[in-house]
Amino acid sequence: MLVSGAGRDAVGQNALRLLMQRLPGVSAIDGPGSTELPASADPPVLRSAQLVEGSSLRGIQVGAGPQTQSGFGAFLDGAQRVQIMGHYDGIPIVYGTASAAIRVRVNRRMVTWGHQPPRVQRKFFLPLRYLPSLGDAASRGGVSPPDIVDTSKPDQSGAFPSLHPTALLERAMRAVDDMREQLEHQLAEAWCALGEAPLFMDGGISGNQRIASSSSAIGVVKSHRTLFVEDDALRAVFGLARGERSSVFRVSPRSRSSVISWYLRVRESKGHDAMWGLVRVEASECDRPAERAEEISRWIMAEMSPLSLPDGRWDKMAYGVRDCEEFLRAIS
Amino acid sequence: MTHIEALGRVVATERMPNTPHEFHFWTAIDSPVGIGTIVLVEGAQAVDGQIPRIYGIIVEGFSYTDLQSPLHDVLGHDGSPTQAGFASTERTEIRLYTAAVLRQIPEEPLQPVPMGKVYLAGEEDVQVALRMDGYLRDGAHTGIPIGVYRAGGTDAVIYLDADFLLGPEAAHLNITGVSGLATKTSAVEWLLASLFTHFPEEKGSIAAVCFNVKGPDLCYLDQPGRIEETDEALYEKLRVVPRPFDQVEYFAPYTAKGLTLNTFRNNEALLDNVTPLSWGLREVLQFAEVLLNKDDIDAKADALIDFIKENVVDKEFSDPILQKKHTVQSFADLDAWFRDVLQGMERKDGDSWRTHHVATIRKVRNRLSNISTRCAGLVTDSGAVSDLPFGSFTDRTVYVVDVANLEEDAQDLIFARIVSKLREHLERRDLGVKHLVVFVDELNKYAPGDGADTYVRKMLLDIAERGRYLGLVLFGAQQFRSQVHRRVVGNSGTALFGRMDPDELSTPGYAVLSAATRTKLATLEKGQLMVRHPHFTQPIFVRFPRPSVMQGREGAERYPQSNEASIESAVLRSLRPLDPSITLPWVQDITALYTEQEVIRARNATLLARPADVKAYFSAQFRRIIPAQAAPRPLATSVRSAPENDPYGF
Repeated sequence: MLVSGAGRDAVGQNALRLLMQRLPGVSAIDGPGSTELPASADPPVLRSAQLVEGSSLRGIQVGAGPQTQSGFGAFLDGAQRVQIMGHYDGIPIVYGTASAAIRVRVNRRMVTWGHQPPRVQRKFFLPLRYLPSLGDAASRGGVSPPDIVDTSKPDQSGAFPSLHPTALLERAMRAVDDMREQLEHQLAEAWCALGEAPLFMDGGISGNQRIASSSSAIGVVKSHRTLFVEDDALRAVFGLARGERSSVFRVSPRSRSSVISWYLRVRESKGHDAMWGLVRVEASECDRPAERAEEISRWIMAEMSPLSLPDGRWDKMAYGVRDCEEFLRAIS
Repeated sequence: MTHIEALGRVVATERMPNTPHEFHFWTAIDSPVGIGTIVLVEGAQAVDGQIPRIYGIIVEGFSYTDLQSPLHDVLGHDGSPTQAGFASTERTEIRLYTAAVLRQIPEEPLQPVPMGKVYLAGEEDVQVALRMDGYLRDGAHTGIPIGVYRAGGTDAVIYLDADFLLGPEAAHLNITGVSGLATKTSAVEWLLASLFTHFPEEKGSIAAVCFNVKGPDLCYLDQPGRIEETDEALYEKLRVVPRPFDQVEYFAPYTAKGLTLNTFRNNEALLDNVTPLSWGLREVLQFAEVLLNKDDIDAKADALIDFIKENVVDKEFSDPILQKKHTVQSFADLDAWFRDVLQGMERKDGDSWRTHHVATIRKVRNRLSNISTRCAGLVTDSGAVSDLPFGSFTDRTVYVVDVANLEEDAQDLIFARIVSKLREHLERRDLGVKHLVVFVDELNKYAPGDGADTYVRKMLLDIAERGRYLGLVLFGAQQFRSQVHRRVVGNSGTALFGRMDPDELSTPGYAVLSAATRTKLATLEKGQLMVRHPHFTQPIFVRFPRPSVMQGREGAERYPQSNEASIESAVLRSLRPLDPSITLPWVQDITALYTEQEVIRARNATLLARPADVKAYFSAQFRRIIPAQAAPRPLATSVRSAPENDPYGF
């Protein structure tokens, strides 16, 4: 998942012009904004998980060598960009762009999947509750107005967001994040429906039932805000050496689908922090989870070459994912 | 237009923008393009109601990946190149090319190359790109095929414009390339074949004079050579029949001893179209300054030589100090004249004669007499002349003058005199042909950029600068173009480049070429050339077929050079092409009583006359000598016996 912050491109500029026709009084921001961007929505937590391989979580050598061939046929990743285009009485005017693409490997080179074109969506994310009603675009020369997402709807508890610009921005960013996730899921579903070679998804697969239950989608999670291990298991995971995976456990969050998961150390962490080169893999439930974990882990190890430098997350990132991100950067 | 699928897209950034003369584009990794490929860009936006079309030739190529540092690749494969081959994915890679604009349509307004799709140029596109469409029109076709441009399945014949190759618009051709890679000579042999085939009839007749300055390369132009299937296909494409030249005449002087011709082509089997080249006093004196340097010729000596040319040569000359009248027609006559003059001065005990000081006379005598020694074999004491057929040159004929084995002085003399004569005849329009190509190799030597201002260099400069108005066209060749006089190469409208020496390519004259083009020039295969022509805004790479004439090395093996044998054998070899019935015993019988010089003189006269009855003519050249006969012994007469009674015999 690629996320970038402020900055205004030509597409956004044009969209702002159209918005200003409907919402006079918007002050455009010429330079970079000073609004604080929220760091992350989720607090770091430890959570226990049900072990499905063995009686205790331990490190297992996956047996990947330099000649190990990867079984992945394609890579999926999404990207999002949030641009603060202006403000209306201090309310941030957010323009979000989300995109997703599947890149298929043909003769060891990455090309865009031919069955489904890459997805790109651009929308304004506005707290309409706090803004005057928008004028009719048709009366302004028939120019189609940009899509607008209302970020001021009440949450599950019925509370409306506060007028604090950072709170509004946080809402907007979450909405952009959702938009990107939807695009990723659309493509992943299409891939799984065709039942082609396994798809390497950047991130988890448990957010969508069809994907989570497909053997064609493998999720590789690089961020560890939530660690599904506690106590001794946590120490065992941190102690994984390069090429070792943890025992398989089950992840079944309330709002998401149940999948099997395990940790895998793809690079030697000596001299680095405990999370260096550590990924968590998600796959659909299966009869022989240990064997499946073994196989997929070897594939992931094989995907660690070539390096994804100069990306800062190169220790965990497969080159195919970086390729997707570069592709999305070029088209969105 | 034959292109179907785009092979690339034009790209431009602020740091690497497109201009009216250059643009950039990327292609797929496996795209069939490379340095020298001609491409076509179709703009996306119409200008003045017309979609712009831009033709370009690739002059530079770049390839890179998303790798930020080579070290990242080392780290990624644990320092093992072998492991790199096992990576599941190849890095994203780009092929980025820079193309120089050949032509824009419309030509006005001239704008930077727009973004658009890039196509491989088809055969018709190549014609338009190189502006060949202007001289390949029906009814006005002046194209001379020089080779085939090949790229990505496109085979396009590249034509030179005859008006710009042979004049009058521009003229001359210069070829550069390293020796030994069959570039220069082969290219000229091929181009002459193409020229003789395709030169438009309405433009008149054409012939070529080739100076063979080294090796046997030009000695077998009338003999068939070996060509391969690929060459045959090229010949067919270029519409030239692969066969040796129909009409070739060879000229070569004799060796110093005068027995055999001083050429690689003196094998008896090939002598039928070889003519001896020999000049007498009259021919040489006109070009005395070629052989006499400035130290030799001061004003006084020059005045005496002029006096001799004006008053002595070919005239009956008498003077009170001379013991007899002189008619000087040969070096031998001239020497006799000098001797008589000097003796006369001694008799009168005078220091000067007709304002010429005795020292000057001795000096000029010495220098002129020396010429026949220095140019022995070419210059004859006798004054007999055997020369090129000035005035009766024939259409589509190659005249080869073999000077490869001669001393430098003799080469200079031959070159200067023949070119001067050609020029004179072309000025008078009586050479026999309207256009004449003169091929000279080793321009480094004959027209160097530095060094003494020799007569030969002056002549080459004159041809280069004014020859096209006369129909006299110089095809020059050399290994190092940078060392040839700038006005000679600068006046060459067309330039061909074969495989080049890297040192030569590093000289300033090649700075206009991109680094990639220079690299390609340094690695060209046999049969490939880079062509510059006035109609082409950028150099083009072409392939030409192997000449369909016997190559020098093969010819030298098949027709070994004849050694100088006995005088009789030499005569037999010379005369038998004229009369096959001549035998060695016959020659021995006829020549037995005469000196070598007399025999050579008789042979030369016979070869020059080419009489119907060779035996009779040759025999008639010898002065009548009555064979010596032993005096008849007087018959013995009996001694009358004396009478016994007459002891005194009464």
